[in-house]
Amino acid sequence: MRLATGIAILALGATLGSIATPALAEWHPTKPIEFVATAGPGGGTDNLARTIQSIITKHKLTDQPVIVVNKGGGSGAEGYTYGKALAGDPYKVIFGTSNAWQQPMVSKVAFKHTDLTPIAALAQDEFLLWVKQDAPYKTVTDYLKAVAAKPGDFKMGGAQSKDTDEVLTRLIEKTANVKFTYIPFKSGAEAAVQLAGGHIDSHVNNPSESLGQWRGGTQRPLCAFTSERLPKGPLITATEGWHDVPTCVESGLNIPRFQQPRTVWLPGKVTPDQVAFYVAMMKKAQATPEWKEYIERTSQTETFLAGPDFEKFMTEDIERVHKIAAEQGWLVN
Amino acid sequence: MISRRVLEIATAVLTGTFGATVAISSLDNGIGWSTAGVEAGAFPFLVGLIILLGSLYNLVRSRLDPPQVSITRADMRALLALFLPAAAFVAAIPLLGMYVATAAYMLGVLAVRPAVSRLKALVYAGVTPLLLYLVFEWAFQVSLPHGVLGEILGF
Amino acid sequence: MENVDALMHGFGIAVTVPHLALMVVGVLLGILVGVLPGLGAPNGVSLLLPLTFGMQPVSAIILLSSMYWGALFGGSVTSILFNIPGEPSSVATTFDGYPMARDGRPTTALATAFGSAAFGALVGVVLITFLAAWVAKAALAFGPPEFFAVYFLAFASFVGMGGYPPIKTLVSLSIGFAIAAIGIDTVSGAVRLTMGVDELVKGVNFIVAVMGLFGIGELLIATEESFQLKSVSSRVDWREVVRTIATLPRHGVAMLRSAAIGCWMGITPGGPTAASFMSYAIAKRLSRRSQAFGRGEPEGIVAPETADHAAGTSALLPMLSLGIPGSATAAVMMGGLMIWGLNPGPMLFIEQKDFVWGLIASMYVGNIVAVVLVLATVPVFAALMRVPFYLIAPLILIICTVGAYSVSNSYLDVLLMLGFGVVGYLFKKLSYPLAPLVLATVIGDKAEDAFRQSMLMSKGSLGIFVSNGLVGSLMAAGLILLLLPLLLQLRRLRAPKPSFDQEPSP
Repeated sequence: MRLATGIAILALGATLGSIATPALAEWHPTKPIEFVATAGPGGGTDNLARTIQSIITKHKLTDQPVIVVNKGGGSGAEGYTYGKALAGDPYKVIFGTSNAWQQPMVSKVAFKHTDLTPIAALAQDEFLLWVKQDAPYKTVTDYLKAVAAKPGDFKMGGAQSKDTDEVLTRLIEKTANVKFTYIPFKSGAEAAVQLAGGHIDSHVNNPSESLGQWRGGTQRPLCAFTSERLPKGPLITATEGWHDVPTCVESGLNIPRFQQPRTVWLPGKVTPDQVAFYVAMMKKAQATPEWKEYIERTSQTETFLAGPDFEKFMTEDIERVHKIAAEQGWLVN
Repeated sequence: MISRRVLEIATAVLTGTFGATVAISSLDNGIGWSTAGVEAGAFPFLVGLIILLGSLYNLVRSRLDPPQVSITRADMRALLALFLPAAAFVAAIPLLGMYVATAAYMLGVLAVRPAVSRLKALVYAGVTPLLLYLVFEWAFQVSLPHGVLGEILGF
Repeated sequence: MENVDALMHGFGIAVTVPHLALMVVGVLLGILVGVLPGLGAPNGVSLLLPLTFGMQPVSAIILLSSMYWGALFGGSVTSILFNIPGEPSSVATTFDGYPMARDGRPTTALATAFGSAAFGALVGVVLITFLAAWVAKAALAFGPPEFFAVYFLAFASFVGMGGYPPIKTLVSLSIGFAIAAIGIDTVSGAVRLTMGVDELVKGVNFIVAVMGLFGIGELLIATEESFQLKSVSSRVDWREVVRTIATLPRHGVAMLRSAAIGCWMGITPGGPTAASFMSYAIAKRLSRRSQAFGRGEPEGIVAPETADHAAGTSALLPMLSLGIPGSATAAVMMGGLMIWGLNPGPMLFIEQKDFVWGLIASMYVGNIVAVVLVLATVPVFAALMRVPFYLIAPLILIICTVGAYSVSNSYLDVLLMLGFGVVGYLFKKLSYPLAPLVLATVIGDKAEDAFRQSMLMSKGSLGIFVSNGLVGSLMAAGLILLLLPLLLQLRRLRAPKPSFDQEPSP
């Protein structure tokens, strides 16, 4: 996508979004609602969709039944393309991540994020840099020094290709002036096992993807890509919890923040009152104790972006990713 | 009547076309080596080429087959009697939805059987979609297509 | 022994009246979703998952895993009776199960399948009980080159099996690889082979291909073979079930070998599907009745079923100990584990002893419950064979249609399924083998990913495939399996050339 057109479309979307927020004529679903998870069963996106489903059912946020379907084919493209084809249908709610706008940039998929109507971003998943437990590096600077000495010899694993994990890897390369060999796997969990087996040297998994491995003493985080330390919580290992992991900035790698939003969409061409209904529903879902519990369990950061805020966030993220994608020669349009 | 030779040729042409399409569309993905390793098209290109060459071999070899009859006229009739209604059923799904199409299909194939009474055909045509509904839509929350008809009726 | 004590403790948790009741409910529900193509264990598990949030984790996992056993057993039913495999791993069961059922012995076929499946599952559980720690460590030794070597071994054992025109086998295998490549490529993120159809970006689901190739294809073949079933005994015959089970030990060697293959493939990333194919191929090569394979040979049912269940069971271990789900069902269960507040991973065995050993004990009991229930239903399923063709044909068609649709709520899949049906008919008619196509569709893309990941790691050097003892010996074993039949054939070429076109085996 050309940046100018992207921004123009975004601006249009933003105006639509701002119309959507005030309470217009109330709309209520009169048919079962389908939650489309753009990931296979068991993944982070699927977990979110199913958590929201159970909250809605338990707290009766609508009297219509909610069904979760998985459309994770093509790294999520299946679900988004499905949403695009159902323009005007307010009974399909699509759950995804930032790949809604990143994927069309780097591969020839049949949708753009502007084919969908944004509802909200509900949570931000954090990233950490992990190495094998018995690796000799104490801090991220130790590690990057070793990487710099042998350009291309160190193997960074991650989920999928040209997706958030690889974007972050390239960002690290640029910031620290090093060179990794990036090996894409199907999921973060797979990368974690490969690290435990010593087949790769590091990965940038989310907290929930490597929690069990950290506890089990197969790998440990060097630093977190957050602006401040992760919140205090229960200890993960005998002596450490998430709060004890230094931020990357404080240990010398200047990447202040890298997050992956969990996003919710409707198909295109829905009415503002339909959007308003779902925005309100997501907001109500976030106010429940079950949601708090979910956020804690998955070590994500709670957020609620809708309307113009969400648009602004997207524009910024698109700009940043676009820059990296252009440098790497990933852009397809 | 269709001879084995004709069938072999038709199949070889079918697989060959598929192979050629696969090989050609892989060219877009790049078939060499890049900084990201073996390019995405390399493997499908090779596979497409193998299919194409294999199909050519099968095509040539089919000339050695004796022109014996493989599908007789009676076979053909039985085959079409099964396939055509099935194709019509599948074609009707977007329009009528799964349930109505199922009922119509069952009714259609059973009604032409002298061995089946009208009443029995009607019962089967009614019970099958009902069971589908109970198992899929109701019990396991798998929504089957309701079709244009369903939309009109607001189902 | 520490493990035995722990297991006994686990039995104390698993064998209580409420838990046994949960097992029965889970197994019955599992059989139902397993029998119906289009519904599978993932449907059942995700349906039950919300109900389990209020339960004790150990009760919840007993319910869900019992459903998993039920679904594994149920998946073989349609394979045997109607040539429609409901799960990838039950494809190999159709090769001899379906001919046997059509020969008028559906009860024997089903009982053989269930009996050997139960044996395979038990071997898998025993392995988990005693070698859990070792297995978890062994699995860590597998990186991309080793993954590739395991897939290569599976292909080599199967492709070298012979019995079909070699060029047709090659074409069929390659078509499978091409189908597996459709959609988004993991290693590059690029969209491949969608040929202008946007929806194909999701790839072609295996179930859609198999229901067309096997289910519809067989239906079309059956029309002209004037589908004359040999009369199935009209009495519900329980004695036949008992008799069949009693004769199973005759295949003891095959069962042990298949269980070993299954466990091996379950621990390594090969998985149940590759295990069942490989076990079938090896059984066919080693059996004295090799010629009878594909025509209803009991050992042709015993081999894939034992391996399938041994692999399916031992595949739960990596899920628990490493946090990598071996299947879609395992993935949903893992989601459940996290919601119940348990973290799958290396610490689970240490921190959650009650849970883990309760689960392992329930695997023993659950499998016994499952096999008893499923054997009890054999005559009922066998009775389905008596439904006349004019009625069963449209029903099979409807079920395949619904099944193909519900895989991902897509009408395109239904059209594809019908198209695969025509291809299946042509291929069967012209003795193109379908099995290599299926195997390549299921594990072709994984093998390709592993190969390309290895190439990335080695910067393009093939030397990575002999870089350590493990990968080197796997590759060598694969090469031997692949080349041995070729060498044998070369020797045979001096003798009169055998005719290719009349071997109906897979």
